[in-house]
Amino acid sequence: MSYYFVSIGGTGAKVMESLTHLCVAGLLPEKERLYIAAIDPDVGNGNLERTATALNNFAVFQNFFVGNDTTLFKNKISIVRPFPWNPTGHDKTLDDLIEFHHHSGTPVGKLYEVLYTKKERDTTLNEGFRGHPSIGSAVLAKKFDDDADRTTLTAQIEKTIGEGDAVKIFLAGSVFGGTGAAGLPTVARLLRNNLADYSDRISIGGVLILPYFSFTPTEHFDELFARSENFLPNTKAALKYYAEKENLFNATYFVGDSVLTPVGEFSVGSANQRNEAHVVELYAALAAIDFFARPLKAPKIFKYICRHERDKFSWSDIPASSERFVQFARFIFAYVHLIKPVLNDLISGSAKAYKYPWFVDFLDDVDLNAPDVVNFNFYAEAFAAWLKQLETLNGREVFLINPSMFEANPARLVDKKLFAALDGNKSKLTIHEVWYRLTEPFKFDSTIAGFGKFLRRLYDVCA
Amino acid sequence: MNRTTRTVIKIFLIAAGTAACLAAAYYAGSNATGHALATASDNMNYSRWLEKYFVLTRATGLANGLCALSWFLAARFLFEVDEAAGAGKRIFWAALLFVSLAISLGVPHFYAPILGIKLNGIIFGLFAAIFTGLGYWLLTIFTTPLAFKYTPLGAQLFGGRI
Repeated sequence: MSYYFVSIGGTGAKVMESLTHLCVAGLLPEKERLYIAAIDPDVGNGNLERTATALNNFAVFQNFFVGNDTTLFKNKISIVRPFPWNPTGHDKTLDDLIEFHHHSGTPVGKLYEVLYTKKERDTTLNEGFRGHPSIGSAVLAKKFDDDADRTTLTAQIEKTIGEGDAVKIFLAGSVFGGTGAAGLPTVARLLRNNLADYSDRISIGGVLILPYFSFTPTEHFDELFARSENFLPNTKAALKYYAEKENLFNATYFVGDSVLTPVGEFSVGSANQRNEAHVVELYAALAAIDFFARPLKAPKIFKYICRHERDKFSWSDIPASSERFVQFARFIFAYVHLIKPVLNDLISGSAKAYKYPWFVDFLDDVDLNAPDVVNFNFYAEAFAAWLKQLETLNGREVFLINPSMFEANPARLVDKKLFAALDGNKSKLTIHEVWYRLTEPFKFDSTIAGFGKFLRRLYDVCA
Repeated sequence: MNRTTRTVIKIFLIAAGTAACLAAAYYAGSNATGHALATASDNMNYSRWLEKYFVLTRATGLANGLCALSWFLAARFLFEVDEAAGAGKRIFWAALLFVSLAISLGVPHFYAPILGIKLNGIIFGLFAAIFTGLGYWLLTIFTTPLAFKYTPLGAQLFGGRI
């Protein structure tokens, strides 16, 4: 079995970010390979860039020799190139993409002119479909199966199935914006059509993200862009569409929020579109994990997830076990608090190795400036930042990892005494205990080596 | 091996090491001093000198053993490493090394006249080597709690720790 996760648009990219962190933490079922694909015309969007960084780091972690008998980095990932796949190309308008000049004056061309306004046709699509799914679905339908531009996603899935593997494909995107709203049904339908010969070996799931944030545009009044006042009407129309197309997905998940969180700064797209992580995206990523964990041909079920308190999220509200996640969070915080400062001091020559027995035992012959070590440092910071963002929810309390314990950017423990009660449950695992356990004699098999050996040991002692 | 067992074994090692150093210092010191020097004082015979010399070595050895035990207990139960700055504690270890050296040299210097015995000058070197060198330095290399296992100078030269 192989898993495919396809993020569509900016919200999809943010779900992908959450999924990447959950995947690194070992929350995916089994040790299957996860293929990650992204569809986004706004290739420079800040959310996607942040996710791509985390993904590329995770790809590097696969070179760590942490052994096969651990959940740490257990899922292998492959990034489906081009990443992201940009269906619009550069500086193209809708007219360019559907080659309007071929159809001008014909009945099809006239119908097209009726369906799309001049502004919709003439706006360059570098920053996505700007909240207009009608543009997106036309472009995606045209480009997804275009022979000259056939996506490698279909080819990759066909290759996987050809090797005798069954495939579970999960799509994530919003139903209230542009790219996701256009892409979810279009890509699901196109994949189902393209892979019709293998229908007994594929299952397609999707998470439809309902409105959960809002923004107020401050400028660009004459430009075409998404407007949050359109989110609810867009959603209503989209849900009506999905109600009529019930065979599009084998499993459909709906996630939204009754409170729309205002995003910091409005941006049409591109690098400025760098929104903070949100608990809705975590739920959406958990939906992907739930879908991957289900049998290939599971019967359709209808479930609701509720939360216990209106203004509070805690582990009892999350459909996942906290144990592995908390262990991973401990591992990251132990690393950023205890290990990383030492490695920095050792690199700069301001610390002596004898003080750090774990360094002498595990890392003395490891190049601390090697890219994989540097990547892990970046990743640890990114995870802490993501977690902090999740827990900052517009006045509502999210308590997965005690938010008063740490700060992000740069990641650090504010109150090291709270380390033992990371998730609110008191344990015996203090920072000193982690330190002590790291120094105890331990034998790994010979496949565990290098920096991976140290990370594996640190992860194990954080259990 | 669990932590309690390891602690008990290390305390036993410190006690055994201290006893071994005491025996070595007694044996080597009595031979080095020699019969003639030992009985050079009035009313002193060799068996009486040996008796008082044993009291001297026991006092020096036990005081040194206390240094090694203090280091062990502090590193095991007192010091907590909850951030990188709390690691190492070599200054504390080195301070105890100097205390041990002061004991190895000071006890024979001040206590021997009180006991009324004469000592060969070489005994000061012997005590420093046996009590401070073996009884503190070498013993702490092998009995330091794991969280500080490379703190004693030269500890990294010895592999394998319990």
